[in-house]
Amino acid sequence: MEKEVTIESDIKVFGFWVYLMTDLVIFGVLFAIFIVLRNNTFNGPSGKDLFHLSSVLAETLFLLTSSFTCALATVFLYRKKRQATLLLYAITFLFGIGFLFIEISEFLDFIHQNAGPSRSAFLSSFFALVGTHGFHVACGLLWMVVAMWRIAFYELKTPDVSRIFRLALFWHFLDLVWVFIFTIVYGMSFL
Amino acid sequence: MKEKTILPRVIGYLASLLLTLSTFALIGLPDLLRLDNQKITYLILVFAVLQCGVQSIFFLNLWSEKKPRWNLFVFGSTISIILIIILFSIWIMDHLNYNMMPR
Repeated sequence: MEKEVTIESDIKVFGFWVYLMTDLVIFGVLFAIFIVLRNNTFNGPSGKDLFHLSSVLAETLFLLTSSFTCALATVFLYRKKRQATLLLYAITFLFGIGFLFIEISEFLDFIHQNAGPSRSAFLSSFFALVGTHGFHVACGLLWMVVAMWRIAFYELKTPDVSRIFRLALFWHFLDLVWVFIFTIVYGMSFL
Repeated sequence: MKEKTILPRVIGYLASLLLTLSTFALIGLPDLLRLDNQKITYLILVFAVLQCGVQSIFFLNLWSEKKPRWNLFVFGSTISIILIIILFSIWIMDHLNYNMMPR
């Protein structure tokens, strides 16, 4: 009888959850910095001048949909349906790449408009917060490649299920942080 | 068991989608409900907190945990630390100019 991997039964999942919560504190501090500095534009461009609502909407929908397909992949992982899990992770990966592509092109566009991180305190805190999130997404994508390799070529035993479950937790966590980024960083700059 | 069914995931996705699109509708079409900016700010913050709740229920399965709910406990204490950091930073920095003025 194999042990079930759930959020409560696995001590490694709990340990990873504690790590995610310390990561959440990092994001919380970056949010505090951004909120304090968001009006200090030093006569440079403000968020309203720089941000495009359509690309933020695309980023949000990409990340939300990838979180959903990742959740579905967990369901099929429990049912030991290897191919369905792999397919859903491939879709998740593509949406994640799409998200990262839009974000990086947005960053390059800002830097091209002389609105890089050294322009003003507002832009420094913006690049620090959104850049940290983007870096986490990139790490998650790298992890996803490794996970897909395991799913494709190895038998799915309990340690593998536990590992992939932790990857899913990480991915949902990033989506959760992004909800607050698009609300506080992007949304409120238009008001 | 909740982790093994598809339906809660679909409900979570549709609810998150609805909350996301209503946030963007409020920002992109400000004349829709004729609300002032402050009300819209509060409303989209409420939507973000709701979406946080929806995703923690349907994607993270945080609330279906059996006792003793350690994961939920760590989540709650982290949220309280973050609220202390953010709210007190805003409070201090907003009053900094006023309190540093010469008497």
